[in-house]
Amino acid sequence: MTFYVHFWGTRGSIPTPGNLAKKYGGNTSCVEVRSDDTLLICDGGTGLRELGLDLLRRGDKPITGHLFFSHTHWDHIQGFPFFTPAYRADNTLRVYGTAEGDRRAFDLLSGQMRSVEYFPVDFAELKARIEPDHIDSGKRLIDGVRVRFFEQVHPGRSWAYSFEKDGQKVVFATDNEIDLALKNKDAARADPLLPRQLPEDLVEFARGADLLIADGQYFDDEYPERVGWGHPRATTAVDLAAAADVKQLAIFHHDPMHSDVDVDRKIVLCRERALRLRKDLVVFGAREGLELRLG
Amino acid sequence: MPKHDDWSDEATNPINVSIMPLSLEQQPCALQMIAGPGAPKTFDLFLDEAVVGRAIDADIPINSTDLSRRHMMLKRSGPSQYTVVDLESRNGVYLNGVKVHSAVLHDGDNLQLGTVMFVFHEGRGSTLPTPVP
Repeated sequence: MTFYVHFWGTRGSIPTPGNLAKKYGGNTSCVEVRSDDTLLICDGGTGLRELGLDLLRRGDKPITGHLFFSHTHWDHIQGFPFFTPAYRADNTLRVYGTAEGDRRAFDLLSGQMRSVEYFPVDFAELKARIEPDHIDSGKRLIDGVRVRFFEQVHPGRSWAYSFEKDGQKVVFATDNEIDLALKNKDAARADPLLPRQLPEDLVEFARGADLLIADGQYFDDEYPERVGWGHPRATTAVDLAAAADVKQLAIFHHDPMHSDVDVDRKIVLCRERALRLRKDLVVFGAREGLELRLG
Repeated sequence: MPKHDDWSDEATNPINVSIMPLSLEQQPCALQMIAGPGAPKTFDLFLDEAVVGRAIDADIPINSTDLSRRHMMLKRSGPSQYTVVDLESRNGVYLNGVKVHSAVLHDGDNLQLGTVMFVFHEGRGSTLPTPVP
């Protein structure tokens, strides 16, 4: 079994078109995870538009997409009204909440298309079958892929998701201010070189992942002025990946103020930290147009 | 509405300059082999799809047992843009140290196939259009 993971949008907060963001891309959060014919979509930021166009290029077969949202802030849902497969009959889109009855993602996703004040096309005009669904505490199997969720630290709440099949594991964990959940958060903020003591349940959730896609928005020296905004130091994601024996860490949700040169520098700092914590950890910056094959 | 009387003596005098449109041939993307048999060597990319591999009939043949016969393909995915695709190779394609299945390439990207290493260049030569009198 093979997971294919494709990055369609890796930017955080707001789209950042232009030459300064050419390498890592300017579209906001959207990652495609494929297993055989199963299509799992993590977040519907502006990158979702590109994914939709590509799905139509792949052929005429009806599309069934399983959509998981870290949360419903704009940069994670803004692409949905432009997701072309939603306008085609024969396609099915399932929008997952966490527990049974949790329709927040579905309601907010569709809600942005319920008023012409927001968008000219009404949700009711979408021809695809679009339905709310739920994960149900890790018992949910989707075509043999086990899906789990984990609540993170973010204003308004957010969730990480893990996808496992035949020993392969992908974790999508964006918009998570891990720094606020550290057991030594004050000391670790005062001394960035100090190893960060992570909550065990988060480490267990990410444990053994072949790929961890983690929020790594800020440099160490930027973070103190952004505490409480819902995003961590990129280096804290390295500590999480090292503690959880993750094989590859994709630093995700790049700050809109960061140019490609800045992100490159952030990744260099993360790799230096990884060398100190776990030499075999692969760290890279998630960038648009990159596809990994796991398994 | 503000008046711009003081601009009146600053008329714009159009200058007719013909600009020869740049073609991709004038600024081809290129793959520079920095380690491997025959390195250093640069391959200009003119084809829409170029296969790199050990096979003698590959578009860019590299005589190294580290490479599969058809190892990777470079597909044009836009003006001055190529996407690398691993053709199910034995040793994989590493982009800047990360094993990838496919990726849009950017200037300075490093591609490693076993012990053979390349640097991708997003177009070479003059970046200025050539005025035609």
